[in-house]
Amino acid sequence: MENSHLLSPDNIKEKARNIRKKIIEMNSHAGEGHTGADLSETDILAVLYFHVLGVNPNCINASDRDRFVLSKGHGAGGLYCTLSEAGFFDKSWLNTYLEPGSHLPGHPVRQKTPGVEFNTGALGHGLPVAFGLALSAKKQDLDWKTYVLLGDGELAEGSIWEAAMAAAHYKLDNLIVIIDRNTLQLADRTETIMQLEPLQEKWEAFGFEVHCVNGNEPEELLNAFHSLQPENEQPKLILARTIKGKGISFIEDKAAWHHRIPVGDEVFAAIKELE
Amino acid sequence: MKKGMRETMVDVMMDEARAGTNLVVLVSDSTSTSKIKPFQEEFGDKVVNVGIAEQNLVGAAAGMALGGMVPITANAAPFLLNRSNEQVKNDICYSETNVKLVGLNPGFAYGALGPTHHSIDDISIMRGFGAISIFAPQDPRETAHLFRHVLHTEGPVYIRLDSISAENLTATAAGFQPGKLTVHRQGGQLVMLALGTSVHHCITAAETLQQEGIDTSVVGVSSIRPIDYDQLEQILSSHETVLTVEEHSVHGGLGSLVAELIAERQLGTRLKRSGIDEGTFAPASPADAIRTRYRLDADGIVASAKELAGKVKV
Repeated sequence: MENSHLLSPDNIKEKARNIRKKIIEMNSHAGEGHTGADLSETDILAVLYFHVLGVNPNCINASDRDRFVLSKGHGAGGLYCTLSEAGFFDKSWLNTYLEPGSHLPGHPVRQKTPGVEFNTGALGHGLPVAFGLALSAKKQDLDWKTYVLLGDGELAEGSIWEAAMAAAHYKLDNLIVIIDRNTLQLADRTETIMQLEPLQEKWEAFGFEVHCVNGNEPEELLNAFHSLQPENEQPKLILARTIKGKGISFIEDKAAWHHRIPVGDEVFAAIKELE
Repeated sequence: MKKGMRETMVDVMMDEARAGTNLVVLVSDSTSTSKIKPFQEEFGDKVVNVGIAEQNLVGAAAGMALGGMVPITANAAPFLLNRSNEQVKNDICYSETNVKLVGLNPGFAYGALGPTHHSIDDISIMRGFGAISIFAPQDPRETAHLFRHVLHTEGPVYIRLDSISAENLTATAAGFQPGKLTVHRQGGQLVMLALGTSVHHCITAAETLQQEGIDTSVVGVSSIRPIDYDQLEQILSSHETVLTVEEHSVHGGLGSLVAELIAERQLGTRLKRSGIDEGTFAPASPADAIRTRYRLDADGIVASAKELAGKVKV
């Protein structure tokens, strides 16, 4: 199944700008959210939903669609804004983010939101599930692919490495893992809290085909996705270097903005930077 | 004739695989624990061994269910539910994935291997989670009916599958009916309610008690969620005393469930819970010795029943 948008890098950039505006508006309206994480992953999600993923908002549950799992479930806001921009549900839903009974809860819930494939929020869960998805496609001789976006902080979870080992063991070249490598987690720099590097070498040692890119540059991301080797019996890893809070100067690369939301003049200043 | 519960499970898996059910069995180096060698020989492609990695076992099962297959996980109950607790909660229950979790050798089946290998908290854990059905079959026949039922019913399931070989007690024709309690014997003012295969010890105890002039009722509980609370109320209301018997902590299992119903519906039935004492681990001892110590074998159940019978009309 082919992506229903297939936008060019320039058009994806425009979509990413719209998504970032929605993130700012939605989080400030809700009074809560994970602004830094949402902005960090925006370009990756825009590339996936407007070009790479074989999905179609007019046929959301097509059996041959590609599957996407947001392992860093706290990035739900970024995912919701991307899904609405891509036409999976009405943009008015964004005004209900975090409200009681909303289709858009604080972490993704597949029973609630069209286009959400799996319930995440607790970290370290996405890769085992994505491993299972990719393995089920292989077992059933199906062509769809599985994509999973990991945060870098959650790489401290042992379950990630259990699944990484298994994905290589089962030769899952239909599994594409993306790491949103913004080097910040809730409290501090990832490397201060728990040394993760050298990530490229670690994933290579686990048997992955690794590509390192600027994760805030749609063209670089697209090139990386296009250069993935088919049928080489290796799972894929795109190590996407990003900036947490990307796009808003006063939010970028600051741990405090993991949970913070823009208020008052900050909202106007943020939107102005995105104009 | 006695038959193993696990061997029965594997027989059903093979029948279902031959009939085209899209099942897959996930193990964590637990092919011997699960007795699935015959299945593996015929359907090797339907077995996924993730190694000793229980979190990945459960997460992968959720993913395979989303991919359209019917996954069964088969490994020792303590490692399934204790190590992978959060995966069970989020990936299976909260996400409502169509996974059949099988906790093998629960209770203190591993006896002398000790509390690391015991699972006296599985029912308690699973009752705390939403959206999942909880079963503990009493005999091989019910095990077969249960597996056929769950493989053709969408939704997450936990099956506490005892390790023993056992005679069939349940009726031949009855398919598995979720929620229903099995009344094996009826009589007197004392009813024994047993979880899963503990019902065998209760029936032996009831026969001994009858020879001594004490009539008792015996009811098997194989469906913890759903459970027919009205049927349970009717049973509790028609007896003065209830003795619950389970190879589980007295906290959070069958005994707790019964206590809750007695309190909430103000039934007034006197309750004695037999199980592993609140706030303790069962010792690292052979399973029979643990059964004796906690009055979970026939002799112990007889002793408990006699004590209770001294205080009730018989």
